[in-house]
Amino acid sequence: MRRLLPWIGIAALLFLLIAALAPGLLAPADPLAIHPTQSFRAPSFAHLFGTDESGRDIFTRVIHGTGASLLIGVSATAIGIGLALVFGLLAGLGPRWLDFGTTRFLEVLFAFPGLLLALLFIVVYGPGVVTSTIAVGLATAPGYARIIRSRVLVVRRAPYLEAATVLGRSWWFRLWRHLLPNVAGSLFVLVTLGIGQSIVWASSLSYLGLGAVPPAAEWGAMLSAGRTYLTSFWWMTFFPGLFIMISAVATTLVGRGLQERSRDS
Amino acid sequence: MKHVVVPVMSILAVALIATGCSAATTPTGTKPVSGGVLVYATGDAEPTCLDPHVGGNYPQALVATQYLESLVSKNTAGEIIPWLATKWSESPDGLSWDFTLKKDVKFTDGTALTADAIAANVAHVQDPATGSSTGYLALQKVTAVTAVSADVARFTLSTPDSALLDSLSQPWLAIESATALKRSQAVNCESPVGTGPFAVKKWTHQQSISLVRNADYSSPPADAAHSGRAYLKGIDWRFLPDSASRYAALQAGTVDVIDNVQPDTLVAAKRSRDLVAIDAPRPGASNRIELNSSIAPFDDAKVREAFIRSANVNDAVTSLFFGTAKRSYSALSSVEKSGISEPSLFGYDQKAAAKLLDEAGWSTKNADGYRTKNGAVLELSLPVSTNQSIPAEQSLFEQLQATSKQAGFKVDLKPLDLSSWYGALGKNQYNLVSAPYTKVGPDVLRILFDSAGTKPAPSGYFANHSQVKDPALDALLEKAATSSDAAERVSLYKQAQEIVLKGFYILPLYDQQNHYLHRSVVKGLRAMPTVSTPTMYDSWLSR
Amino acid sequence: MALPVGALPGSGARRSWVPWALLRLGGVAFVLWAVATVTFFAIRLIPGDPAEAILGGPGSQASAAAFAQARVDYGLDQPLFVQYLQYLGRMLRGELGTSYALKQPVIAIVGENLGGTLLLAVVSLIVAAAIALALAAWSARGGRVASGVGWLLEVVAAAIPHFWLAISLILLFSTTFGWFPPVSVPGPLGLVLPVLTLALPLSGFLAQVMRESILDAMASPFVLAARARGEGSGGVFWRHALRHAAIPAIGLAGWAFGSLISGAVVVETIFARPGLGRSLLSAVQQRDVPLVLGVVLVVALGYMLVTTLTDVADRLVDPRLRAS
Repeated sequence: MRRLLPWIGIAALLFLLIAALAPGLLAPADPLAIHPTQSFRAPSFAHLFGTDESGRDIFTRVIHGTGASLLIGVSATAIGIGLALVFGLLAGLGPRWLDFGTTRFLEVLFAFPGLLLALLFIVVYGPGVVTSTIAVGLATAPGYARIIRSRVLVVRRAPYLEAATVLGRSWWFRLWRHLLPNVAGSLFVLVTLGIGQSIVWASSLSYLGLGAVPPAAEWGAMLSAGRTYLTSFWWMTFFPGLFIMISAVATTLVGRGLQERSRDS
Repeated sequence: MKHVVVPVMSILAVALIATGCSAATTPTGTKPVSGGVLVYATGDAEPTCLDPHVGGNYPQALVATQYLESLVSKNTAGEIIPWLATKWSESPDGLSWDFTLKKDVKFTDGTALTADAIAANVAHVQDPATGSSTGYLALQKVTAVTAVSADVARFTLSTPDSALLDSLSQPWLAIESATALKRSQAVNCESPVGTGPFAVKKWTHQQSISLVRNADYSSPPADAAHSGRAYLKGIDWRFLPDSASRYAALQAGTVDVIDNVQPDTLVAAKRSRDLVAIDAPRPGASNRIELNSSIAPFDDAKVREAFIRSANVNDAVTSLFFGTAKRSYSALSSVEKSGISEPSLFGYDQKAAAKLLDEAGWSTKNADGYRTKNGAVLELSLPVSTNQSIPAEQSLFEQLQATSKQAGFKVDLKPLDLSSWYGALGKNQYNLVSAPYTKVGPDVLRILFDSAGTKPAPSGYFANHSQVKDPALDALLEKAATSSDAAERVSLYKQAQEIVLKGFYILPLYDQQNHYLHRSVVKGLRAMPTVSTPTMYDSWLSR
Repeated sequence: MALPVGALPGSGARRSWVPWALLRLGGVAFVLWAVATVTFFAIRLIPGDPAEAILGGPGSQASAAAFAQARVDYGLDQPLFVQYLQYLGRMLRGELGTSYALKQPVIAIVGENLGGTLLLAVVSLIVAAAIALALAAWSARGGRVASGVGWLLEVVAAAIPHFWLAISLILLFSTTFGWFPPVSVPGPLGLVLPVLTLALPLSGFLAQVMRESILDAMASPFVLAARARGEGSGGVFWRHALRHAAIPAIGLAGWAFGSLISGAVVVETIFARPGLGRSLLSAVQQRDVPLVLGVVLVVALGYMLVTTLTDVADRLVDPRLRAS
C-alpha cells in the first residue's frame, strides 16, 4: 500500500496538469459566463459542483482555475528556491564568516513565521495576486535555504569534489558538474513538496482577502467569494478547497515517495 | 397497597413539579421583565472613537444611539417629534430657532441638561480640532448658540435652513455632557457621557463595549413605548466582522441581536421560528452607482446612458438578494417622503446601448470585443470599497461588468481597502463608484449633487462623486434649503431629482440595506426612524 | 578508587555550560537586532510618503497636524542614521509606536491580545503532540496496513489548509451536530474547534518525524539490550524509544510555534477569537503599518525565546548533547 501511494499522487498530478494546460477537455463551458437565474444551485447532474452567486458552474471554474492556481504555486516556489539557492550556496561555499552571517540572516527570516513574513510584505506593497505570490516565495525561501546550505556543506567535502580540485578543474566546472547536480537531487524533492505548500499558503491569503479577487476563476478567489455563504451554500468553498487539498496531498505524496526512494538508493 | 401509593405519589409529585416549573418558565409574552444583559454582535467596523462628534459614520451612530440622545427625533410618519427638546420655534425671518429643553434631565455624570450644554456641544462639533465631518457639514449655517434662559437655547443662522430639524435628529449631533467634553479627546472617545438609557462602562478594543443601564434615565423620545429607566440591565456590544460567524453565533444563542445580515442568511432565518427580522433601510441616498461626468468617457451623456442601458441590474438583484432587496429607481431612500422614482429611465436594453455608443463615436470594436474610438479603449475604472460594499454587492458589480461587456464596455473592478479607496476618489481616479450616504431628509440631494459638493471638506472627503455641476440644479437646491414652505420644498426637490435622473448621472440599485436579526426572546426592539439604528430602550428578554 | 574529577556530573558540565549560554544569548540579541532593522526599513520601503503610511495610507484623511506629529515622532525629517538610532532607542524602551486604526499604543494592543494567542498555541501544541504520539506509535508498532494508513493520514493532515479544516469542522460539528459553538465563547467549550483546527495539521508533521525516530530507536542496540534483559516490548517502547521520539519533536517545537502563530491568524479570524493573529490580519487589511510591525517584532521575540528554550530542553533530554 505504501508503494502505491506515490503513484496515486502522480496520477492526481497528471490530472491537474491536464486541467491546467487543456481545461477545455475536461470542462468545455465558459468559466466566466454568468447565468443569474441559476445562481446558488446545489450540486446535481447538470452542475457537478453546483453553481455560484452569479450562476457560474463551479466545476468548470475549478478546472479552469487549476492553471492559475498551479502557476501561483510554481512561481512562488521558483522565487523561494531561487532565493534559497543564492543564500544556500553563499553560505555553503563561502568563507566561514559569510556562512555565519548568512546563516544568522536566514535565522532572522526564519524567525518570522511564514504567514507573518508574507503579511509584512503585503502591508508594504498592497494585496493582490502578484504581491501574494512574491510574499509566499519570500516566506518559504529561508526554509529551503537552510536545507540547501546543509546539503552544500556535505557535498563540499565529498571525495569526488576533492578529486576534481586536485585534478585542477576550474571553480565553475566544479560548481556546475559536481556540486549543483548533487544538490539538485534534494532540490527536486523540495520543489515538489513546495509547490503544494505554496498553493495552500497563496490560497490562504486569498481566503483572507489579500490575494486573488473575483471574478478570476482561481481557487483562492473562489474561496474568498464563497466565504460569506459558508453555512448556506457550502459547495462554493468546499470544492475549491478540496482541489487545493488534493494538489497539496498529491505533491506531498510524490515528494515523500522521491525522498524515500533516494534514501533507499 | 403501600408499595403502590408511594410510586403513584412520587409520579404525581414529579408531574406537579414539572407543570409548576414549566408554567413558571413559559414566557408570559406581553409583560416586560426587568433585568438581563442583551448581547449585540455588530458586523460594522469598530469605531475609532465612541464620540460621534468626531468623524461621524454609521458604526458610531449604531452604538451611540444607546447612550447619547439628540434634541429631536422622528416618528415613522416622518414627523419631527420631541426628545431632549420639548418644543421649538422658528423666527419669521428664519434666522433663529429657539429650543425649549426638557426639565430635570441629567447626564450620567450628574450634570444637568441646560442651554449652556447645547451651546458647548455645537461649539465642539464646529471646532476644527474635533475633526467632525458629518456633524460639521450639517451645522454649516449655524453661526452661534446662546442660552436665552436656563432651558431655552437659541440657534442663530447665517441663512434660513430648512434641514436644521432633520440634522438635529441625527446621532452625529447628539448632546453630551459639557463637563465631559472638556476632557481630552482621547479620554472622551473612550467613554462619552450622555443622557441615554445606557452608559458606556468599558471599551475592550477589538472585542466589545460594555454598556450599563442608566438608573436615572428620564428622557425617552415621544414615540417610545414606556418611560423611566430601561428594562435591560446592560448591553454587551460585540464586534464580529465575519458574517458567517455572526449568523452562526445568533443561531447558537451566543448572541441575541445581529446587524449587517446578508441576504442568504435572511432567507435562512425565515425558516427558523426563533429568529425575527427587522428591515430598516437607511435614510438619505439610495444605494447607487455614480458615473463620473468630469472625465472621459462619461463626460458624454450618451455614453452614460449607454452604460445604464447595458447594465442588467434586475437579474443581478434578484439572483443575489433573494427578494430581500427591492430594485430602486430613485436617487433617495424609500423612507424619504419626497423621493421620486423613474423606472422608465433605467430599462435594460442592449440594442439601445449599442445605438447610443455608435452615435457617440465609439463605433469600432477591438479583438477582445471592447469598443474603441481614436485608438482608446472604452475602459471604466470602478474602485470597490470592501468595507462599504457587502459581498452580494461586489458580486453584483461583477455581473454588471459581464453584461456591459456585451455592449463593449471594459469595466475594471478594483477591490480596495478603505484608505486606498478614499485615495482613489480624492485623486479623481474613477469612472464609476458606489458610495453610500446616510442623512435624514431630502437635503442630502444638496450634499450629493450641488456643485459645491465637488470641493473637498477639510478632511479631504467630497460627496458629489458624479461631479454634477449644473447651475439650474444648484439654484433649485439652494432655494429648497432656505424655503420654509413644506409644499414648495417638496416640489423643488422633485424637480431637482428629475434633473439628476434624466442626466443619467447615477444608476440606482436599491435602498441602503439595513437588516437586523434577533432571537425571539428579545422583545421590544425597534429601529429608530431617524437613521434606522436599533434602540434597546424598550427591549426586554423573555427568558 | 577515586573517580576522575571530570566524570562527576557537577563540575565538568557546569564549566562547559556558561560559554554555550553566552553564545546563545548573543545569537538571540543579534537576531532581534536584525529583525528590528528589517522592520525599520519596511516602513521606508513603502511607496510614497512614510508618514502617510504610518497614518494609514493615501486616503487616511489625517489632518496636517497629525502629519507633522508623525514626522516628529518618527524623526522622518532627520538623517537616516539618526532616525535609525532613535528607532533602536524606542525599541529598547518598548515604545512600538501608535496604531493609527485603533488610536492606542501598539504595546498596549499587543499586551491585551498576547494571552489569547498564547493560550491557543500552547493548548494546540499539547493536543498536537498527543495526537502525533498516538498516531506515530500506532503506525510504528502496527503491521504494514497500519503503517500505510498512518503514513497517509500524516500526509493528508499536513496538507490540509487551516481555513478549509476550520470550515469543515464548523459545518460538521457546529451547524450539523450543534456540539460546539461556531465562534469563540468564554470557557473551554469555545476552545475545542479552534484547537482542533490548529492541532490536526501540526500533528501530521510531528507524527511523521516521531515515527521515523521511533523506528530508528526500536532498531538500535540499547533496545536490543533491553529486550535481551527480558523487558517486555511495551516497557521497551515507553521507557526507551519514547525518549528518542521526543528529541526531534522538541527540536521542532520552535518551528511548530511559528507554524501555530501563522495558523492562529486564520483560526482567530474565522472563530472570532481575540488574539494577535486577528489583530494582525485586520491591521494588514487597514494598512496599519505600526501595529503590523509591532506584532511582528513581538512574535520574533517569542520565537527566539522558544527556540532557546527548546535548545535548553534538548540538552536536558539528550545527554549526548551535554558534552558538546
